[in-house]
Amino acid sequence: MSWQTYVDDHLMCDLGDEQRLTAAAIIGQDGSVWAQSANFPQLKPEEIEGINKDFTEPGTLAPTGLFINGAKYMVIQGEPNAVIRGKKGAGGVTIKKTTQALVFGIYEDPVTPGQCNMVVERLGDYLIESGL
Amino acid sequence: MEALVVDAGSKLLKAGAAIPDQSPAMIIPSQMKRMVDDAPENPTTVFEDVTLDPIERGFIRDWDAMEDLLRYVVYTGLGWEEGNEGNILFTDPLCTPKAIREQLVQLMFETFNVSGFYASEQAVLSLYAVGRISGCTVDIGHGKIDIAPVLEGAVQHIASKRFELGGTDLTKLFAQELGKSNPSVNLSMSDVETLKEQYANCAEDETAYEKTQNCEIEQHTLPDGQVINIGRERYSVGEALFQPSILGLEEHGIVEQLVRIISTVSSENHRQLLENTVLCGGTTSMTGFEGRFQKEASLCSSAIRPTLVKPPEYMSENLGLYSAWIGGAILAKVVFPQNQHVTKADFDETGPSVVHRKCF
Repeated sequence: MSWQTYVDDHLMCDLGDEQRLTAAAIIGQDGSVWAQSANFPQLKPEEIEGINKDFTEPGTLAPTGLFINGAKYMVIQGEPNAVIRGKKGAGGVTIKKTTQALVFGIYEDPVTPGQCNMVVERLGDYLIESGL
Repeated sequence: MEALVVDAGSKLLKAGAAIPDQSPAMIIPSQMKRMVDDAPENPTTVFEDVTLDPIERGFIRDWDAMEDLLRYVVYTGLGWEEGNEGNILFTDPLCTPKAIREQLVQLMFETFNVSGFYASEQAVLSLYAVGRISGCTVDIGHGKIDIAPVLEGAVQHIASKRFELGGTDLTKLFAQELGKSNPSVNLSMSDVETLKEQYANCAEDETAYEKTQNCEIEQHTLPDGQVINIGRERYSVGEALFQPSILGLEEHGIVEQLVRIISTVSSENHRQLLENTVLCGGTTSMTGFEGRFQKEASLCSSAIRPTLVKPPEYMSENLGLYSAWIGGAILAKVVFPQNQHVTKADFDETGPSVVHRKCF
């Protein structure tokens, strides 16, 4: 299966009632994009660096906020070295760290944080099991 | 069927159907007695009842006892029928270890067979109870003190702080002080607890506390007939929250802690947090506590003064004691109908760790 199929079929899937995530991507921890949805924002290198740092040292992004292409997300409860969660108004982002990559899911109202987490983390767990 | 909301504290367990404008239907002590089984061969042996606390410092420690307690609450107290269990919402203190949350969700789905589960932190719920989604909660309970800044419903865990100090330590202090001034009197901890609730007071400020050296001594008759004198000790109990050195702790007083915590959050949010400070938890209902808190707040070092939120008029008087429960009832009315909770299907598919993904 190609990476693009992972994004299109598994991350941008129908969550029920024709709802989907706003954008999703699988990005290597070095910053290279493995696949992304059509409207996924471009991440800047320093943003990727910040995200990687926050996984290894949780709490680095919280004071300043999580930035994705300049859009600021407030860091909320995540899981050290596994998940970073951010909130922006009624929407937000979930970033799951796998062995070699970062799985991103961006959602907006009415999709709930719980729904985004389930989708992103489930795919992330599957990739970890496959060694990716 | 209404969802159930359970706020299990170190001293009192509050539970009831999710009806936000009422107090919880059941407010029972969490402390339990282990009944030793009858042994007919030895009728002359004296059985000791062992009291145990399933919940210590806010966290569930004794799972068997907790299961029994919940069984009583849910089936006998609140009228659920076996086979027809509905949705349940639990409150957690700050920094609840993941393992404890997972074990709770597992207990609920596997033993109690609930159809839906949600867990939320007490700090956020207390804010919902006063109609806010951002602010700072100062929760002074029996087993712990939590100070948590919350922004738009999300607790800022990096900034929040938990102290392993609470009403139970104040009771011990009170017992110690009374023991010193009334050496001949025998006091049990539960007597001291009742006395603390009746007499504990906060002096208006530090200088007033110094003056209480010569305050009037009140006489109190214990249920067993002994008479004790209570003088300055009652003010020491309240003062300990503002000067923890009385308890032997090298910490700042509670208002100072609040200001320090807020200063670690990004400055654009300071005003919002400080101007929406909520006091909750049983110990905050001490006479004079709120006044003293306000006074210390006006003296504190930050530019913005902490201001306490006034609860809405339609809420009951003792909101501080049940605010986490009431917030839970409010949240339950939103979460369960919108299916944002953990369902049995989610649990079966993903296992206990699903609670971290779906419950915020």
